[in-house]
Amino acid sequence: MIHLTKLIIGHQSELLRLENTLLSSGNVYALIGRNGIGKSTFIQTVSGIQKALGGEILIESQSISELTPREMAETVSMVDTRFEGVEYLKVKDYLALGRAPFTDAFGRLTKKDWQTVEDVASDLGITHLLEKFTDQISDGERQLCSVGRAFVQETPVILLDEPTAFLDYINRKLLLELLVRLAREKNKCIVLSTHDLDLCLDQSIPFLLAANGEINLHTTLTKEAILLAMS
Amino acid sequence: MKDVSLKWVLICLLCFLPLAMYLHLMSGQIEISFASYFDSFFHFDSHNTNQVLVREFRLPRLFMAMIAGAGLSLSGMFMQTLFKNPLAGPYVLGINSGATLLIALSLLTGVQFFQSNFGLIGTALIGAFAAGLFMMVIAQRLKSQITLLLVGLMFGSFTSAFVSILESLAGAESLKSFTMWSMGSLQQVEFSQLGIILVVFTLGILGSFLLVKPLNMLVIGEKSAAMLGLPIKSVRMLVLLLTALFAGLVTAFCGPIAFVGIAIPNLTRILFQTTNHRYLIMGNCLIGAIFLLLTDAFIQVLEGHLSIPLNALTSIIGAPFVVFLLMRKLR
Repeated sequence: MIHLTKLIIGHQSELLRLENTLLSSGNVYALIGRNGIGKSTFIQTVSGIQKALGGEILIESQSISELTPREMAETVSMVDTRFEGVEYLKVKDYLALGRAPFTDAFGRLTKKDWQTVEDVASDLGITHLLEKFTDQISDGERQLCSVGRAFVQETPVILLDEPTAFLDYINRKLLLELLVRLAREKNKCIVLSTHDLDLCLDQSIPFLLAANGEINLHTTLTKEAILLAMS
Repeated sequence: MKDVSLKWVLICLLCFLPLAMYLHLMSGQIEISFASYFDSFFHFDSHNTNQVLVREFRLPRLFMAMIAGAGLSLSGMFMQTLFKNPLAGPYVLGINSGATLLIALSLLTGVQFFQSNFGLIGTALIGAFAAGLFMMVIAQRLKSQITLLLVGLMFGSFTSAFVSILESLAGAESLKSFTMWSMGSLQQVEFSQLGIILVVFTLGILGSFLLVKPLNMLVIGEKSAAMLGLPIKSVRMLVLLLTALFAGLVTAFCGPIAFVGIAIPNLTRILFQTTNHRYLIMGNCLIGAIFLLLTDAFIQVLEGHLSIPLNALTSIIGAPFVVFLLMRKLR
């Protein structure tokens, strides 16, 4: 659960502001808005990379400004627009990095850690990729692995910055369906920025609409209303 | 999910190391019996020429070959992970140049502070660390890996210009000692200096193993690693410090040795096919040590006829290999 109060985001000058907004667990929220309006900044602010200009971010009723980097890593995980893959890094080891906040100083993985990796892999249907190198699988498969790593991290909140940008139509659809299903099954609060209006409307997920210097939460919206707001 | 095959590669290398050490010891111009080696340690007789030879020349050279090979490879591995660039290394990114500049300053101007054993390591370390810090700042403003390498090369040219100026101002005696140093040699270390070198090296290795987890996380990029709770800024400083420690140590005592730091970490990665630094650290140490032992053994064999500078030979082998890497990765 994310609770945002009077949040103001931006780098030096204000980009967007939010009034009191509650994002609950078990849901996927689609953050939409035109290029450059501040979607990435919003994601980075909630993930703690970027400082908020004002207001407060509470995750599971804890202010993120009071969390240590490690506590933060146990609370929020993030999926980037694109994971390029790393030579000789196996998918299983990439997924296992999601356990980093929980392992000892040498990063040793317990049986339970590996079990988590295998469970997530089977949830996402990427078990057959585990022994492959991350630079030798397709873009779609790699993006699934990125999502997998976030789930291995077992955080209550998962943020995704345009995770579908480099995927084809079918993979976009599959990824979104998967996120909606996993959010419900695992009771996660998932926020993703995206331009895939149609797909989000198909899934009838709530929207965070960024327009005119504000972000507003809409549980239902028509395509026309969205397009009007973003014009 | 155990990495059985990786352990076998390590064991093979571990078996090959003594063989390389043996070859290195036996490739000297004068034949020395095993008994002499044994005696030079346990019943040292300073009047026995062979034993003195062992103590003053063979053993320091043997250890320096291993330490220089392992140290440069490790420092290259650190840089490649830190900069996420397979072509990074202490030589291309100007770490050597930084150390060389300060060493030139001390050898050519003869500043007293720099003269002791500690001073020489310290000088090289400061130079290496400063250069590393500089490259780090530059790297954060750049997106392209190639641009970073070009900046490194420019930095190298820039410092070598200063070194040339210092050379032109220096007296004949100090100029000679600096020129000898800059050719790169494993023969400049004395038996009495080995202790301090081994201590510094061992500390560096211990430090490296403490950084296994951060290094493994850095592989997926600083931002992702930070999101996994890694304190990026302090990790960056620690990795840079270790890089400078190894590169500085080796450069101080052996002079600049090119290409080992860029070639060996790549060779290790290709051989081990992993990004797990627990194995990469051990692999780089072993392969680096073996490589320099064999290279130096070759130099020793030819020594009666011609003396090839170490730096020249590692360049002859290393440069084509780096070109091969370029063709393979960056096309």
